[in-house]
Amino acid sequence: MTRQFRRMMAGLLIVCMGGMGVPLPAYAGIVSTDTVVAGAERERLTSLLERSEVRARLEALGVDPAKARQRVTALSDAEAAQLAAQLDELPAGGDILVAAVLIFLVLLVTDMMGYTKIFPFTRSMR
Amino acid sequence: MRFQATPAAAGVFILAAALLAGCAAPQVSRIIEQRPAGLPDSAEIAATPFFPQEDYQCGPASLAAVLVHAGRDATPELLLPQVYLPGRKGSLQVEMLATARRHRLVAYPLAPRMEDLLRELAAGTPVVVLQNLALDWWPQWHYAVAIGYDLARRELVLRSGVTRRLTMSLDTFEHTWARSGHWAMVALPPDRLPATAAESSYLAAVAALERVAPAAARTGYETGLARWPRSVAAQIGLGNASYAMRDLPGAAAAYLRATMDHPEAADAWNNLAQALHELGSRAQALAAARRAVSLGGPRLPAYRETLDGILRKP
Repeated sequence: MTRQFRRMMAGLLIVCMGGMGVPLPAYAGIVSTDTVVAGAERERLTSLLERSEVRARLEALGVDPAKARQRVTALSDAEAAQLAAQLDELPAGGDILVAAVLIFLVLLVTDMMGYTKIFPFTRSMR
Repeated sequence: MRFQATPAAAGVFILAAALLAGCAAPQVSRIIEQRPAGLPDSAEIAATPFFPQEDYQCGPASLAAVLVHAGRDATPELLLPQVYLPGRKGSLQVEMLATARRHRLVAYPLAPRMEDLLRELAAGTPVVVLQNLALDWWPQWHYAVAIGYDLARRELVLRSGVTRRLTMSLDTFEHTWARSGHWAMVALPPDRLPATAAESSYLAAVAALERVAPAAARTGYETGLARWPRSVAAQIGLGNASYAMRDLPGAAAAYLRATMDHPEAADAWNNLAQALHELGSRAQALAAARRAVSLGGPRLPAYRETLDGILRKP
């Protein structure tokens, strides 16, 4: 069996088993706790769409497809809606330090005043 | 050459003076001036693990520290594929919460208050915080783990980046923390209530856990009920978690308790109807379903479907 064929079969299986690719532990006849807590009507269809949208965004940002599916499953309805609406604007914590000279000077001063904390060698004036 | 005070120089001077005047942070100042009742002078959770990290991975490293402290097996390498977003070179806040839940922990976002952060530390729970170390218009987002504080020295103690024990002025910390919207989270086993837990936020956190770990969520609802015995969300949640685990008698008992404490809770009647129906108690299930429909509310269509479902099966 070639690798390509196996990949194709795996892909097919994922589609068949996962429906839209995002399993939801929802049961007919049961109002979910998520819904009770939110206290509002929530169309399951909306949530499904939001989830597949978030999943596609995660994949586009370099997350392995199988992992992206698991990650989306772990989100609450509200979180999925938030990511679907504004993933690009949300902060992603991760330490990137490439300071231009101006930025360096500004941050040096603000660091010394205790507003920021970029440089390990600064001590705030307080 | 004589020194001349130009308007620009004056502007810089005024700006610097204004900035300096704002150095003390508002929440910290209030806490120092009027110590909240029962808050110790200092605390430090020295047993908090430390995973030094460079290269954008402060999210997985901070999370690993609190997961291990909560008794879970975790390393930054293990968490990387669960929480790191390569295209953004960082980790999103909601995925930090979601990843803790995947390890069967209740991920609880703290209220945006310095006092709550300090209270969690005093209670022995390390707290993941998001800081913007730089400025609003040039952000440097950074996750760290707060592990202690000292009010006399006006300092916070953190596991941060490559520094095992970083002490930072509480005021500086508050400034960097305020720029992230004062974001902080704790991750606790479901049998432990966060020291600053509020009813609705805690139950929302457990409901989110229910999706990935119903058994852990069931414990979480029981923990919530021990504190807020009449919480309708916790009672229904306990039923839903039991239902998800296919414990139908347990589910029906929890829903029944909810309907007795809150006869107006249509959701509880609806879910009770479904559980009773699956248990084979058709007459009781019908009565409960009709009760939900007559109470109505925003989810009336769902209640009608439940009723129809029971009616269709003799």
